[in-house]
Amino acid sequence: MDTMKNLNDMSIAQKGSLSVMIDKNKKTIVAFLLIIFLFILGEIVVSNFFSVGQVLLTIKLSSFIALFALCQMIVIAAGGGGLDLSVGFTATLTAILTAVLMDGKNENLLLAILVALAIGAVIGLANGALVSYVKLPPLVVTMAMASIIQGIINVYTAGKSITGKPAPILQTLAAQSTGIFPNILFVLIFMAVIVMIILNKTRWGLKLFGVGTNETNAYLSGVDVKTVRMVAFIISGAVAGLIGLLLIGNMGTAFKDMGSSYVMPSIAAVVVGGVSLAGGEGNYFRVILGSIFLQTLTNLLVALGWGDAGKWLGFGIVLFVLLIAYVSDRRKR
Amino acid sequence: MNKITNASIGSSIKKIGLKQEFSSMLILFVMFTITAILQDNFFQPNSVVRNINAFAPLILLAMGQAVVIISGGLDLSAGAALSLLTCVLTYVMRQDEPITGVYAIVIAFAVAVLIGVINGIGIGYLRIPPVILTFATSYIWLGAALFIRPTPGGESVKWFKIFYDTKSAEGVPAFVKAIGSVFQPALVLVLVGCLIWYVISKTKIGRYIYAVGSSNDSAYATGINTAKVQMMACIINSVFIFLAALFFVGQNQSGDARMGDPMTLRAIAAVVVGGIALTGGRGSVYLAIVGALILSFVNKIIFFADIPNAYQTLVSGLIIIVAIAGSVAYSYINKKAVGRESK
Repeated sequence: MDTMKNLNDMSIAQKGSLSVMIDKNKKTIVAFLLIIFLFILGEIVVSNFFSVGQVLLTIKLSSFIALFALCQMIVIAAGGGGLDLSVGFTATLTAILTAVLMDGKNENLLLAILVALAIGAVIGLANGALVSYVKLPPLVVTMAMASIIQGIINVYTAGKSITGKPAPILQTLAAQSTGIFPNILFVLIFMAVIVMIILNKTRWGLKLFGVGTNETNAYLSGVDVKTVRMVAFIISGAVAGLIGLLLIGNMGTAFKDMGSSYVMPSIAAVVVGGVSLAGGEGNYFRVILGSIFLQTLTNLLVALGWGDAGKWLGFGIVLFVLLIAYVSDRRKR
Repeated sequence: MNKITNASIGSSIKKIGLKQEFSSMLILFVMFTITAILQDNFFQPNSVVRNINAFAPLILLAMGQAVVIISGGLDLSAGAALSLLTCVLTYVMRQDEPITGVYAIVIAFAVAVLIGVINGIGIGYLRIPPVILTFATSYIWLGAALFIRPTPGGESVKWFKIFYDTKSAEGVPAFVKAIGSVFQPALVLVLVGCLIWYVISKTKIGRYIYAVGSSNDSAYATGINTAKVQMMACIINSVFIFLAALFFVGQNQSGDARMGDPMTLRAIAAVVVGGIALTGGRGSVYLAIVGALILSFVNKIIFFADIPNAYQTLVSGLIIIVAIAGSVAYSYINKKAVGRESK
């Protein structure tokens, strides 16, 4: 990390300022170019793909991916091979449980938010405790947790239909637009600002990146590595719980697998955004760009009529190729 | 004199007790006994056959997963690969043309090797962390499987039943049927798997898999082609998945792009419960069989406990997480105890 910074400082003296800027924001530019490439490709292959309405719709749909990717980014930033495969399932669970609580009334919203936060935090706590203190691989833990949550959902919905409606406020936030801009975009911007402040301006953010960059160094400088990692999982769970509220606000009703299909895109968005999976960094702006890219890709594949198969195949291949570009460390020895 | 022998016997019993193999064997024995007590007709031929059929796929997947884990990797794409192979098999086969079964097996085997090679290139040559790489490839397999079979179904030649129930297979020579009525096909598949691993473990590659798993850098420094070894581990895993796919198509006569999804986690759990370290380099592949049997018996015991169907996902998820946490905690305590002993 430090040597990288030194190199950058040195290169400022040697190179022109423009090339330095390109160097520093290489991954952002790549993500941008990828999105534009897809839109142009879409315009050529399918007519009427690159329009203001289409772009705004894409941004709206990608907001949900971006929000899930926020959970993922924080867990990944804490290092130790962290990933959270349970986020989508947590969101589904809170959506189903709070649907009944809210029952379409605004006055029940506060209670629903508290319940969603509590459920998410408890799930995150369980994940974090198993990862930090029992030292199990995060992927295996969260995968098993996903299956447990799916089990709870199955039990809860067995033999009866899911009832309840979201509070109108949630519907306004998640499904409607102000002028041409979808409201969810403002939620996303609000979240992005908060995340940037927490990660870059607070002590905890510093600790999180410290733990992710070098566990031993962080430990020797007096950071409680285990707790920081656990808190990362708790935040991820709590945010996922809140996203559940937005999902039901967008859909109008809750159903059994409303969140599970977001798990893969949320991880892919982080990789497309060029955030290191080894931990220690997190740039939410790039992750949002990654989400937009994935949503554009989905739109293109759907427009081509390739459906689900094309979507998963496309996501898999994109993730594979970008892993080769960003994560592969074959040059190291 | 007497005292000394007593003491040494005591300490050697302790040593046996501290071995991971012993503990998983003991758990298996307990589970076996409980199941035998709960199931009235446990030892009757029919239910033995049924149990072997129920256990075989997980055993095969767990053995394959064990090879990858020992080599220092982890395969999250095993379930998706299994689904893809069942789809490929049923895509190629035509019910009325027996010869298509042979084509299907050849093509599916080629696909299996290709799956192993792609995973292996990613893990070995490109050095991408195995967990995230196989997570990515699992969606490639899923997408490919959905492409050729969007909904469950497909057809299969009649003689494919030999991989599940030889007696009811049609268009098969009499001697094959005779062999099949003595040896259960599922058991044969598991034995073939064991034989494959037995042969490989006697070769250089078998030793290298352990070396690479325990320390990739050291193995590299001693001149082992670590990338090739990791790729071989992935290919061996694929062959095991291929065997499991043969069994499933023999059983269901159809393919399903989603059927393998829950198998991934169960196979990993079986490996851990069997006592193979997730860190790699340690444990015997045969222990995966023990782990798979333990999980299967636990499933049977739950079945006898009369738990409603809706609770099954929940209970199996809980068991997996408890089992993994338990065996990791156990080996951790063990390491401490052994450390104290040696001091």
